[in-house]
Amino acid sequence: MFRRVFAQARKELTQIMRDRLALTMALLLPLALLVLLSNAISLTVNDLPLIVQDFDSSSASRSYIDAFRASVTFRVVAWPVDREPESALKAGTARAVLVIPEHFGRDLARGQAANVQLLIDAADANTAKLVNGYAAQITRAYVEQNTGGSRASLVTPQIRLWFNPGRASQKFYAPGIFVLGISMFPPLLATLAMAKEGDQKTILQVYVSSITAHEFLLGKILAFMIIALMEWAISLVVLLTVFGLHLTGDPSAFFVATLLYAFCVSTFGSMVGAAIPNQAAAIQAVALGGFLLVFLLSGLLFPIENIPAGLRWISNIVWGRYYIEIVRDALLQGGGWPAMWFNVMMIGLIGSVFYFIAWRNMRPMQVKA
Amino acid sequence: MTAQLKTPGFWHRLRALIKKEFNQIRRDRRLMISLIIPPTLQILLFGFALNSNVSNLRLGILDESKTPESRELIADLTESKSFRLGGYFLENRELDDAIGRSKLDAGVVIPWDFARNLQRGQPANVQFIMNAVNANTAAIGQGYAEGVLVSYNRSLASRGIHPQIRIVAADQNMKGSVNLNPAFLFNPGLVTAWFIVTGTFGTLLVLNGSLVASTAMIREREAGTVEQLLMTPAGTTEIVVAKLTPLFLLLVGMVVLALGLIRFVFEVPIRGNVLLVFGGATLCLLCGIGIGTFIATFTRSAQQAQLLSFFVNPPLATLSGSLSPVEAMPRWLQPVTLLNPIRHFGLITRGTMIKGSTFSELWPNFLALVLFALVLMGLSVWRFRKQLG
Repeated sequence: MFRRVFAQARKELTQIMRDRLALTMALLLPLALLVLLSNAISLTVNDLPLIVQDFDSSSASRSYIDAFRASVTFRVVAWPVDREPESALKAGTARAVLVIPEHFGRDLARGQAANVQLLIDAADANTAKLVNGYAAQITRAYVEQNTGGSRASLVTPQIRLWFNPGRASQKFYAPGIFVLGISMFPPLLATLAMAKEGDQKTILQVYVSSITAHEFLLGKILAFMIIALMEWAISLVVLLTVFGLHLTGDPSAFFVATLLYAFCVSTFGSMVGAAIPNQAAAIQAVALGGFLLVFLLSGLLFPIENIPAGLRWISNIVWGRYYIEIVRDALLQGGGWPAMWFNVMMIGLIGSVFYFIAWRNMRPMQVKA
Repeated sequence: MTAQLKTPGFWHRLRALIKKEFNQIRRDRRLMISLIIPPTLQILLFGFALNSNVSNLRLGILDESKTPESRELIADLTESKSFRLGGYFLENRELDDAIGRSKLDAGVVIPWDFARNLQRGQPANVQFIMNAVNANTAAIGQGYAEGVLVSYNRSLASRGIHPQIRIVAADQNMKGSVNLNPAFLFNPGLVTAWFIVTGTFGTLLVLNGSLVASTAMIREREAGTVEQLLMTPAGTTEIVVAKLTPLFLLLVGMVVLALGLIRFVFEVPIRGNVLLVFGGATLCLLCGIGIGTFIATFTRSAQQAQLLSFFVNPPLATLSGSLSPVEAMPRWLQPVTLLNPIRHFGLITRGTMIKGSTFSELWPNFLALVLFALVLMGLSVWRFRKQLG
């Protein structure tokens, strides 16, 4: 039996090696995607254009503006005082407008509270919230400095950021994109290989040979598992070098999960290919499962709890979700087995279900009427 | 080429060809379905599933003080919409463990001398531990925590439970402070879906436009009927234009559908002139069709075109600022997005619908779209002619 499985796997690998488009898709494209998307997707904004309208022009207001100018978050852009600042927001030349009223410096000197308005373009709600938070921090720091070091607000928070102290969003998104690549390309190739047999009718040769459905499937899956693991290894090197991540804690759960996940995605591809013996339709099905589900319903970008309940249950069966959590744990938190055993189990379970469905489709080993 | 255009039979031939294409498309039910179901699904899924809202963060509490003051602070923290109680802990190690296992998003440690310090009028510290694996959640959660403490301090000062506190508070007021009053313009409810769906709109146009166009161009080649078309007096430009006109009209139908979903399901307002959105969408579609035709000239089969689009589409979709702000990208990557039609269309839709921008503010984006459309269509016609020639 194993001899036939290996022979099938070898034939599959030889075919891929000779197909240049397939090979680039398997090994090069995921890398390009990883580097590009992890850099492109980020929500923590820097360098936002900010317009300041200073009606006070006192030394106090200027030092307040300097506090904004010095921050990484904001970039102060020039805007004539006589033009309405809202039109800058409409044209997109600024994300926020800081309006400092007359008597700002006088009020401060008298020990009164000076009111300052911040107009925020909230078309992008998340950025708007960040802008508000950062501006409040800058203002607090300014007040503290301005009123002398002795000033103590009664309770001060001391905030510690764990696991990702620089709040580098790449460290959060890169592991997700890494999983996205593995969830998309190996199953795509597996599906193409499977559907091609149906399209070109070479499947008939398989039917008349002595190979059983299990051997045929396992051979194909083994070949694409190898592809998936190769892709995994190359991408992991990039994660560890370019993105400055490193393995934390006990990596054995991560490695076991990786083997199971490679099995899971290759089986998913084979299952789709076996069920839909038409290449174009099969590609679309894999794109839906591999890309849309893993991209949208896996917590790759935003927390799963934010998805409305009517859709959220779907994420319980999205295989990528469990693996993303494992990769993030292995590269950032280091929770190991006690934190991740359930995820490892779920990946294995979903993979077995895929295998069962694929086998059910192949079992008769004869042309579907 | 120019001589061909001037011949009197041009419009006549073009009309005949367009009629032929229309008849072909009308009978292609799969194409019709592919222009209705995937776009609807994509807009709904993206709009509902991608929500960057940060609320109800699980907060673990380690209260070493166990005094009315500390319990009040805990109540303030957990009663806000930002945090909810994730459990009480007795030991530092347990709290650390729970955060490490992602059972908690944040933890707060109130030291044993918290109330004593407050009663003496001395500053007290509270430690917050944020799980910063998700940088965005950590940044916004940090803002929430600081906000809750600011209002806790204010209430302490105003109620003045202890005379000492009142003294400190009064002293603080003497020094003057700055109140920052934020106003969230255009989207005061801070609905995140508005940003996502208006961004997805452009992605949709380019993806589906390119897919439909490339399949249509390739089908003729796969069926081997290109030679027949070439035998007719029609020139290549006419063939291409005739092929794309009905597709374009169909895709405009998709624009209406998508706009309807955005307006009525996600309740995004249309504050500006809706014609601007349509104008931008038309140009964006032309860009998509141009990309699709261009891809088609490089491939021999529909599968290959589909696979090639895997190389083109993900970067186009993500380097557009449609799902995440362009300002969050690294500096070297930001100018690249200017070459992306989706980015310009996103600015047009968001500007017109949410902010009520006018043409005088958006003309640079329209200009860019017109240029892209011209270049892409020109390139694909040129490649197509070279191939057939």
